[in-house]
Amino acid sequence: MESPLHHFELHPIIHLSIGGLDLSINKAVIAMWIGMAIVFGLFMLVVRGGLSMVPGKIQSIAEISLEFIKGMVKEFIGDEGMKYFNFVGSLFFFMVCCNLIGLIPGSYTITSQLVVTGAFAICIFIMTLVIGFSKHGGHFFSILVPPGVPKLMIPFMVPIEVISMIARPISLSVRLFANMTAGHTVLAVLFGLAMSAPVWLGWLPFGFTVIINGLEMAIALIQAYIFTTLTCVYIGDVIKLH
Amino acid sequence: MAQDSGFREGMGIALRLGVELIVATFIGVMMGYALDKFFDTRPWFLVLGVLFGGAAGSLNVYRIATASLPGDVKDPLDLQKNNKKQKDR
Repeated sequence: MESPLHHFELHPIIHLSIGGLDLSINKAVIAMWIGMAIVFGLFMLVVRGGLSMVPGKIQSIAEISLEFIKGMVKEFIGDEGMKYFNFVGSLFFFMVCCNLIGLIPGSYTITSQLVVTGAFAICIFIMTLVIGFSKHGGHFFSILVPPGVPKLMIPFMVPIEVISMIARPISLSVRLFANMTAGHTVLAVLFGLAMSAPVWLGWLPFGFTVIINGLEMAIALIQAYIFTTLTCVYIGDVIKLH
Repeated sequence: MAQDSGFREGMGIALRLGVELIVATFIGVMMGYALDKFFDTRPWFLVLGVLFGGAAGSLNVYRIATASLPGDVKDPLDLQKNNKKQKDR
C-alpha cells in the first residue's frame, strides 16, 4: 500500500532553471495558478456581466462575501482599517480557493506546504511591523509593555511580549499547514483502507471518506476565515497599540 | 445566520488556543537554547526560556479568552463566579 503522505510529495512537471535558481513548475504551482485564475475569473465575471441593482446569483455571492469581509475589517481594525480591505479580501478569497481546490481528487493543496503558509505569515508579520513603525515611530516599542503593568514587572513582561510577538507568524502558519495536512492525511488513510479491503468491508471506510470530505470543506472555510481574522487582529493591534 | 456565525467564531477560538499555547512555549525554548549555544551557559537560558515561553503562551490564551467573553463581563474569573451563583440559585 502507498504511504498516506505520498500525495504531498512534489515532482517537477516542467524543468526550469534560471541562473541557478530551480523554478521548475510542479503541481503546487499549477494549483496556485488555478486558484488565482478562479478568484480573478469570478470577480471579472461579476463586473463584466454588468452590475445590477437586483443582484444575480454570482453578484449576490460576491456582494455577500465582500460585505462579510468588510464587517470583519471594521470589527478588528476599526474604521481606518478600510485601506487594508483590498489586502484582507484578496487574502481571504485566495486562501478559500486554494483550500477548496485541494479537495478535488487529483489536485494539490498548496496550503499543506509549510513553505507557502510560512511565506504568507512572514509577509504579514513584516507588514504589521512596517505599519506600526510608520504610524507610531519609536513609540511603537510601547507595544512590548502592556498598559497597567507595575514598573517592577517590566523586565519580565518585555521578554514575554517579545516571545508572544515572534510566536504570531509561526502560530499563524503552523495552524493552517497542520490542519490541512492532517485532514488530507486522514482522507488518504481512510481511502487506502477502503481500497485494500474487500468490498463487503470496504464500504465502511469509504463512507467515512465521504463524511470527512464534508468536514474538510468546513475546515477549509474556517481555516481561511481564521487566517484572515488573525491578519486583521494583528494589523489592528499595531494600529491601536493596545 | 446568527447561530451559524457563533459556531464559526467558536470553532475559530477553539482551533486557535492549542496552537497558541504550544508555539509560544516552543519559541521560548528555542530562544533559550540558542542563547545557551551562544554564551555557552547551558542550561540556564533554556530554563528561563521555558518559563518565559510558558508565561507568554498562557498570557496569549488568557487574552483570547478575555476577548471572546460576552460583552459586559471583563474577567474570566468573574464569569466563573457568576456561573457558580447561578448554580447555587
